[in-house]
Amino acid sequence: MNAAGIQDLGFGIRAGLCGLCVLLAPQSREWPVTFVDVADRAGLREPSIYGGVDRKRFIIETNGAGVAFVDYDNDGWIDALVLNGTRLKDNARENQTYPPGKAPTARLYRNNRDGTFTDVTARAGLTASGWASSVCAGDYDNDGALDLFVTSFGQNVLYRNRGDGRFEDVTARAGLPVGGTRWGSGCTFVDYDRDGRADLFVANYLRFDLQSAPEIGNGPNCVWKGVPVNCGPKGLPTDTNLLFHNNGDGTFTDVSARSGIARVTGRYAMTATAADMDGDGWLDIYIACDSTASILYRNNHDGTFTDTAVESGVAYSENGAPQAGMGLAVGDFNGDGLLDLFKTHFADDIPALYRNLGKGLFDETAAAAGLGVLNRYVEWGAGMPDLDNDGRPDVVYVTGNVYPEVEAVLKQYPHRGPRIVFRNLNGSRFEDVTARSGPGATAAHSSRGAAFGDFDNDGDVDVLVFNMNEPPSLLRNDYAGPNHWISVKLEGTTSNRAALGAAVRVTAGGRTQAQTVLSQSSYYSHDDLRLHFGLGEATVADKIQITWPSGREETLSGVAAGRVVSIKEGASRK
Amino acid sequence: MTATAFLLWAAALHAQPPVAPRPAAATVPAVLADARKLIDAGQPSAAIDKLRALDDRANPLVAELLGVAYYHANDAPRAIAELTPIVQRLEPGSLERNEAVQVLGLSHFLAGHLAESIPYLEEIRPLMPDDMKLAYALGMAYAQTRQPAKARESFARTFRLAPDSAAAHLLTGQMMNRLELEDLAEAELTHAIRMDPKLPEAHYVLAQIAIFRSRFDEALTLLRSELAINPAHAMALYRIGDVYSQQLQWDAAIAALQQSLWINPYFSGPYILLGKAYSKTNQPAAAEDMLRKAIAYDPNNKSAHYLLAQLLQQTGRSEEAKREFAIAEKLQDVR
Repeated sequence: MNAAGIQDLGFGIRAGLCGLCVLLAPQSREWPVTFVDVADRAGLREPSIYGGVDRKRFIIETNGAGVAFVDYDNDGWIDALVLNGTRLKDNARENQTYPPGKAPTARLYRNNRDGTFTDVTARAGLTASGWASSVCAGDYDNDGALDLFVTSFGQNVLYRNRGDGRFEDVTARAGLPVGGTRWGSGCTFVDYDRDGRADLFVANYLRFDLQSAPEIGNGPNCVWKGVPVNCGPKGLPTDTNLLFHNNGDGTFTDVSARSGIARVTGRYAMTATAADMDGDGWLDIYIACDSTASILYRNNHDGTFTDTAVESGVAYSENGAPQAGMGLAVGDFNGDGLLDLFKTHFADDIPALYRNLGKGLFDETAAAAGLGVLNRYVEWGAGMPDLDNDGRPDVVYVTGNVYPEVEAVLKQYPHRGPRIVFRNLNGSRFEDVTARSGPGATAAHSSRGAAFGDFDNDGDVDVLVFNMNEPPSLLRNDYAGPNHWISVKLEGTTSNRAALGAAVRVTAGGRTQAQTVLSQSSYYSHDDLRLHFGLGEATVADKIQITWPSGREETLSGVAAGRVVSIKEGASRK
Repeated sequence: MTATAFLLWAAALHAQPPVAPRPAAATVPAVLADARKLIDAGQPSAAIDKLRALDDRANPLVAELLGVAYYHANDAPRAIAELTPIVQRLEPGSLERNEAVQVLGLSHFLAGHLAESIPYLEEIRPLMPDDMKLAYALGMAYAQTRQPAKARESFARTFRLAPDSAAAHLLTGQMMNRLELEDLAEAELTHAIRMDPKLPEAHYVLAQIAIFRSRFDEALTLLRSELAINPAHAMALYRIGDVYSQQLQWDAAIAALQQSLWINPYFSGPYILLGKAYSKTNQPAAAEDMLRKAIAYDPNNKSAHYLLAQLLQQTGRSEEAKREFAIAEKLQDVR
């Protein structure tokens, strides 16, 4: 995250950005999307504490955390979860202490179905405090209630959803690691062996010892553009990742070694996501890695994985240089029915857009697609939502620098940045429409996680954003246009009940687009499990094809637009 | 040892009866002389062992040489730890003190403590006015602590230029650009051009920054200005090809890259970009040819290997691709 992942052609000359690419783009039409931050009026008011506000001494203060749009009470209205961190004591190497019951914890807000939320944290029992990183959701016990896994610098926690509005910490009971201090980063529930039960993948960022960590400016990796800053990640030791097999009885078994997951070393692993990236019917795991090659764990169909990121073309930049991967999005930007990847990076670099060529091969096309026009911001949570329902997924990512000290010297690297919105023009090129996307997009915050979903069930995709040392943002999409949409909610029977990893292809108006059900994406965050498809002028989805994680294929035809379609595996109904 | 600890240690020494004979006065100088010889012979670890075996570690001369030995053993933090407590106890103007100051300055510099390195390097510079390495280190420290005027003065000294000359501004701009301090680099380069509009290279370096910042029109203007000063500037033509590549203007890119290669056929950059251009325009055979030429001229270029591997992979030659990916990965590890 700290490293400037500059594109380098290998002989010390940095490749530039594609600033004029936009001139080659098709003429932009009117942009009907306006984001308004309604967090305060909706009742999402609790600030997320995360390290120092204007000065960050150590890297643990910088990364922030994720958020989730999760329908924890199964009422058809997504609720909002916002993780929380803590702070160090002034001039000390220990966490701030708080009076009993006052320590910052994750906040769970129940959707009141009227545009507002109620803080139900206390009743929900999400009581852990500390340096939370990410959240992933899945129904590991297949009881119909979404469970949560929260990673931290410290203790990761598995929260079982009891189905009565409360969660219980079952980490120890489930056989997951308890005690010790590792830096859990990304996570994802993933049924890698297709037994119908969600297994659990957990990434670790790096090994960090607060007591021995160097102070600001105190080492070769502690200066950025001449400004002394917190040190790392370069120079800090890496860690390995973890995979836990779901035993089907509420417990997990650590299979990190025998699955080959732990064999991949030397990476600063961040956000994780699980999807079938090579179309072979088995779920793979992709990890955005900071300052090192990203990882694509290809599923070998026998309980083991092989990292194929380099040969697949998703490890590096277009020129083969490591980048500071933080957030990622999965979507089908060019409407070819294949899942593409989008990855966010550090300032002075551009994001990556890996176009899926099929058969597990990708081509990095961010600059050519017009996504290379901005490089002042550190980029974090990202998504490919179809904001204007025109049938072409757009790109959104949130920003915020990790060095608050820098902007006083270098105004071009602001601590707080906008939410960047790129409109998908024609399935191959994008246009920066941030300035035209309303006050919610242009407002400056130091943001990290972002979750995408339709919280007000009005037929467009909204965004929940984690802000460092501020309350979250709830960006309501006030789309004003004639386009139609359809949303698909899946329930597995043979497959895991939350249908994580299911791929859905919707054909409408002669165009096909793909999405997949994800346990984690963006930056350390979890999206609405309902897959939202814009249909443009089409009022009917001609075809909805589902590839379930079990391998079963199902197709629905002639489904009317403008509604959420619930589909149960093996018993399709409209 | 802190000053307080040293005083306590000294008091304790006076209070104790002389139960163990202290080493003969000649022993320490002899060990110091031996250790010095080992350092000079490129064996700092052996010198460290010898010095650490002495039980006269409080002797500032021992600590001084131990710090020097650690520095030569590439252990800057330990050099700093040894030298910092004793540097003020060494006799001003003595060889040992001057050496300690120099090594402390360089050790802080190597450890990335740039601000801390400056007072030591400044103190020693008048004694070594012709030492290029020292002037370079000081220049880099000034640059990275954003003190451009002082950096320019040091770089001018390093490269034997007049500090206020256009050449010194150019050179400082180049160094600032190398350090990714683009804002400072632009100021220096603009000043250089103002002083001497025909100064070679200044427009070119400015163009590099403009490309990095997506200011492509400006970059093209600057590169053409550079070519007006030096029509045989192969790198300027190469960067024009780069700009056109990024604008997906493949024909214009290919023309500029070809021109660059006609002037200098030994630089791998244009071959790599030509490889990309041909690959993007569905000419895989020509792309492969260019990328293999790039590798022939620059076998350790990871981008060339990576792009060739991707091309091979995408054209179904998986085994060959695997070999190229492996080479690219190996080069990644090296760098």
